[in-house]
Amino acid sequence: MAVRTEPAVPTWREGRVTGWLTTVDHKRIGILYIVSAFFFFFAAGLMAVLMRAQLSQAGNEIVTEDSYNQLITIHGTAMIFLFVVPILAGFGNYLVPLMIGARDMAFPRLNAASYWLFLLGGLVILSSFLADGGAANSGWTAYTPLSTDEFSPGTGQDLWILGLHLTSLSSLAGAINFIVTIHNMRTPGMTWMRIPLFVWAIEAFSVLLVLVLPTISAAVTLLLLDRQVGTDFFAVENGGPVLWQHMFWFFGHPEVYIMVLPAMGMLSEVIPVFSRKPIFGYKAIAFSTIGIAFASMLVWAHHMFTIGLPDYLQAWFMITSFSVAVPTAIKIFNWLATLWRGHLWFRAPLLFCLGFIALFTMGGLSGIMLATYPVDYQAHDSYYVVAHFHYVLFGGTVFGIFAGTYYWFPKMTGRMYDERLALTHFWLMFIGFNAAFLPQHMLGLMGMQRRIYTYDRGGLFEWYNLVSSLGSFLMALAILVFVWNMAKSWRSGTRVGNDPWGADTLEWYATSPPAPHNFDRVPYVSSSRPVRDLRQRLRENGS
Amino acid sequence: MGRRTVVVIVAALAALGLAAVPILLALAAPADLGGLAPAGDGSPSGEAINELYWFVFGICAVVFVLVEATLVLFVLRFRRRPETAAETEGPQIHGNTRLEIIWTIIPAVILVVIAVVVLVRSPAVEATGGDRSDELVVRVEGHQFYWRYVYPDGEIALDTLVLPVGRPVRLELTSYDVNHSWWVPDLTGKRDAIAGQVNELRLTPRREGSFEGGCAELCGILHAVMPTTVEVVSEAEFGDRLEALGGQDQSGDSQLALGEATWETSCAKCHGPEGAGDIGPPIARLGTLVNEEALRELVTEGLNNPDVEGYMPPVGRGWPDFQLQALIEYVRSNEALAPPEGGGGGR
Repeated sequence: MAVRTEPAVPTWREGRVTGWLTTVDHKRIGILYIVSAFFFFFAAGLMAVLMRAQLSQAGNEIVTEDSYNQLITIHGTAMIFLFVVPILAGFGNYLVPLMIGARDMAFPRLNAASYWLFLLGGLVILSSFLADGGAANSGWTAYTPLSTDEFSPGTGQDLWILGLHLTSLSSLAGAINFIVTIHNMRTPGMTWMRIPLFVWAIEAFSVLLVLVLPTISAAVTLLLLDRQVGTDFFAVENGGPVLWQHMFWFFGHPEVYIMVLPAMGMLSEVIPVFSRKPIFGYKAIAFSTIGIAFASMLVWAHHMFTIGLPDYLQAWFMITSFSVAVPTAIKIFNWLATLWRGHLWFRAPLLFCLGFIALFTMGGLSGIMLATYPVDYQAHDSYYVVAHFHYVLFGGTVFGIFAGTYYWFPKMTGRMYDERLALTHFWLMFIGFNAAFLPQHMLGLMGMQRRIYTYDRGGLFEWYNLVSSLGSFLMALAILVFVWNMAKSWRSGTRVGNDPWGADTLEWYATSPPAPHNFDRVPYVSSSRPVRDLRQRLRENGS
Repeated sequence: MGRRTVVVIVAALAALGLAAVPILLALAAPADLGGLAPAGDGSPSGEAINELYWFVFGICAVVFVLVEATLVLFVLRFRRRPETAAETEGPQIHGNTRLEIIWTIIPAVILVVIAVVVLVRSPAVEATGGDRSDELVVRVEGHQFYWRYVYPDGEIALDTLVLPVGRPVRLELTSYDVNHSWWVPDLTGKRDAIAGQVNELRLTPRREGSFEGGCAELCGILHAVMPTTVEVVSEAEFGDRLEALGGQDQSGDSQLALGEATWETSCAKCHGPEGAGDIGPPIARLGTLVNEEALRELVTEGLNNPDVEGYMPPVGRGWPDFQLQALIEYVRSNEALAPPEGGGGGR
């Protein structure tokens, strides 16, 4: 039989650079997402270091009052819209098809479009510092009337709106892609009670995005119309200031869980592998994910306890906010039970997971304090809140993201990271984080308001601020160690096989890095731990 | 113990030690608890908030210690021993329904208890109960970037509010521009000042003294320097202080004092104490300062013209005529600010 052979002539699409620019492969798109998101993380982190430098002593003049407000706005916006959400989407992109035994996402081209929209949005937001009048300076919450054309006349606010539109569109398309993929492309045998818990988390993440992103898109569209066309959607006489807060937080609070749930999903993958045990309470964790997602849409006005809501609404939103704590506690207890009687293997991924549990517990409990609305009368809009959400989003989510990064790094690159640098990264970050944010609880209760660029109090107040600033510098150092580790290991780390960790889920069945088509044949799955099943079978056949 | 274990334990101790630094600092400063609790004991409602704070804090602290202790215990107890092979599995336990039910119900019950206690104590926090027949009502306006207080008979005070000790007070908060939030932590919790609506904050100052506060809601570039002082004084002194504010609408010392306060809070924060310019441009000796029509337009509309460099907030919204007049009289009386004779006119 004659076989027609053609020389493999690489087209322009397969070049080293163009291959990445034109890719529709979910794994390459995932890596693009992750690398770009880390870039924005470093940029936004640098802004945080500048802010902490400004606040390290009373009456510093490192940045001006106007630049400071631009920094807080873009720091928050970038961390949320350009780092946490996209990097989680990046991990989802890379992992979901592999974990469910699919070849790619349901809509590969839409997937690529999502990435490029995100990158464009990110560049718009970052470059808005160059705009006439500088970047937006009304905070990431962009409360009206402050963000209207009357009080924020510069173009920075309009660019902020454009950036949000682009990233929201990106997230929305990505979320729909995830939902379609998870619902339709699971490999045979991959029932809903067998999909990895990370996939459950991405499902909840996507459903929440689809439900709440349209609200923020609508809100910023109306704000844009008010600013540019002269409409009156957020006019004072129409109750605009409070309307904006409702629209913003109806999106803004679920956004917190959008950012936390996939990181929790990462913990549910990493902890069992490094404990050498199955996850404790798979169903409880899966259902608590759904429970958190549902409850998160009922709590938004706990950000608005001081705007003068009637008593019955204060009570209602306090109780709904409390209700989120129950499924969250269930997750913490199940992770602890997974550790129980395990053989804990202290590699960086597990350490970051333990850091997550330790710090997120703190953030969760200070959340209970804040949801107690009389306490919120004191703590609201103070540094107590800043400390709280950094314990949740940095101590929680970002530690989870680092756990995931170290855990899946060998899969993505085919190489092992440097463990000693990773442990250095962890301890610098853990110590730096607590030094930076623990004193902020006290500062808040002593009366330090959020978003102030200066203060004139000395004594303990100034000492706390100094400790906090030094902690943030330590975190910056930790990040440098991380970057060095990633850059070095990606080039010259030790090569690894398919499954360096002895893990359970399907992505470890593929090669490291996986082939473009992921699997040579369609995997069949008969439990939630297919790769462990395979190891067992090999061991039985071998003996 | 393996080397790695030692490293882990030492690092954990170091982390705990570092975390203890702020706590030790806090203990060294007993005056205001070093931020371990809200400061507000200056009124019964502030005290009620503090009680709730300690109640919830106590419960959270117990949960926190239990969870963290369990975590540390498990980490030490179940670490992989050097003799254990890497692939050795722990017991293959997939879950326990009874445990799941227990640790669902316990947090739920704790939260219900907290909610009930909070709702029972809510009237004390809001200070709605008791005899409030002699209540003092003060209007509080947040402006970019100062606080304007109006007493029942129309007397105006800027940035400094004087209140009588032991008398119920109702603050009616509003704004003419962006959102602000009135917060004097030593007295009680904060409440937002929002344009287009009036929020109420009730409190009864219970000891004399001077209490510092500020704006808690981002309101623009000078958000950080929008302080306010509440001076709580005896009923007799309060009467004197209020009387001294009388006659702001007639020529005299009282008018000049209002004009000076208006200059210092509404103009000088941006344009400098001598009007020589700071964040805002120099305005000393500008004709607009003494031209009533032009000045009124400027302070109620602000400056937000793309053709003119910079932005000026509408600092004078809600001013009665006599406050504008007081400002003009003060400028005229101040040699550094007054424009040359005959120099009246627009900018």
